[in-house]
Amino acid sequence: MFRKGSTKKIILFGVLIISTLAVMSYTEFGRVGVSPMESALRDILAPAQGLAMNLGHRLRGLVSFPFTLVNISEENQLMKKRVSELEGKIRVSEELRGENDRLKKLLDFKTGVAPAMGFDVTGAAVIGRDPGNWFGMITINKGSGQGIKVNMTALNDQGLIGRITSVSSNTAEILLITDPRSGVGALVQESRAPGMVKGEASYPGKVRMVNIPLGTELGRGQVVVTSGFGSIYPKGIPIGWIRESGREASGLFISAEVSPFVDFNRLEEVIIITGVRTPAVASNISALPHPWGQGNTDIIGLSPGAIKAGEQGGVINR
Amino acid sequence: MRYFWLIFTLIIALFLQVTLLNFFPVFGVKPDLVLVFVVFNAFLKGSRNGAVVGFLGGLMEDLAVGSYIGMNALALMAAGYLVGLAESKLYKDSPLIVMVLVWLSALFTQFLTYVMLFFMGVYISPGIALFRVALPSATYTAVLVLFFYRRFFRLNQEGLLYDR
Repeated sequence: MFRKGSTKKIILFGVLIISTLAVMSYTEFGRVGVSPMESALRDILAPAQGLAMNLGHRLRGLVSFPFTLVNISEENQLMKKRVSELEGKIRVSEELRGENDRLKKLLDFKTGVAPAMGFDVTGAAVIGRDPGNWFGMITINKGSGQGIKVNMTALNDQGLIGRITSVSSNTAEILLITDPRSGVGALVQESRAPGMVKGEASYPGKVRMVNIPLGTELGRGQVVVTSGFGSIYPKGIPIGWIRESGREASGLFISAEVSPFVDFNRLEEVIIITGVRTPAVASNISALPHPWGQGNTDIIGLSPGAIKAGEQGGVINR
Repeated sequence: MRYFWLIFTLIIALFLQVTLLNFFPVFGVKPDLVLVFVVFNAFLKGSRNGAVVGFLGGLMEDLAVGSYIGMNALALMAAGYLVGLAESKLYKDSPLIVMVLVWLSALFTQFLTYVMLFFMGVYISPGIALFRVALPSATYTAVLVLFFYRRFFRLNQEGLLYDR
């Protein structure tokens, strides 16, 4: 049926497919180490990636600009040009102010919430994201050289982001809680009902809490926090708030749609927990802002925001 | 030399995909720029070339992800091959035709990825896969054709990508 040459081609093609499938299952997610080649490639690319991400922040601000100045007088053109130049400058300074605000929130977190919860933390910048739409993975600019290890928890002042899945010497990859491969042991803060928070594709606005025991009363707006079971994520980190709930298809459990506190579309900086110890002053937790503590419970569906300067009287860990 | 420039283009596309394009998500998804160029190449050069370049482009995406290496390579190879079959059958100078091809190939590669993930034990509910990932990202990807196709076509006829 086939010509001589084409049989050979088909065999070669079959070998290619099979060997690719073999490599695919060998490199299945969950592999802790990174091969030396991948590691070198990532470290080399890291500075350029950082630069391009930075450019991205700026471009996003500038993209709403008028592009063309056609069919108008020269003077008008000049003036418009000047206006857009000045607008550009304003946007750059707004961008800087935004960055300043974000960093201030992180600093407040580092000196307020983190010591009260007993976390030793370090900050890192996001320098890349998964190229596809199925998974939620980000790359940060710190790695084993800066003390980052696999399975460390990533969060920001708003709540849980994910965990480190692999490190090279100057970069690390974080599996976001929105990734379908992620599972986080969780509790409903109010009723202490346990469950597991799972991601659903990389779609950033929603995760699902499953395996909640039947008979649990769930209400819209209740906060979900990490349970500390399974020992990867420390206990008490806010994940999100419950939107709606219903029985699972099996009928044996309840599942709930949870909106994460973290805006995964706008992740620019993250905090990594490098160590957990007994909190310096235990009573401080109740003074922390919602949902970290009971400081402020007037939000539903809003991000919990930063702890205010002076609000926290605990021991500061620098 | 053509391969050199083509791979260079794919590397730039991938680089943009892991960095800049994250800042312009539409409905929470980003486009697949590498697929766009794989389809362009396959449409202009045929199945064989399309499959080879698709495999290379996909492999680069896989290396950037770091897990399931080979998954995008197989998906893009299949897309490159199928688009290449249309090489001698459709008009080449209409971006609209290419848009439709890119849209179909994007859906096709997402479908293949979904199936492969399923067999690797990653289950994503079909509704979310179709309406939140596959359809929006295929549409977004197809729109990008308008920005790049004419230039790619010209470079292929008489520029850096011209081959004999």
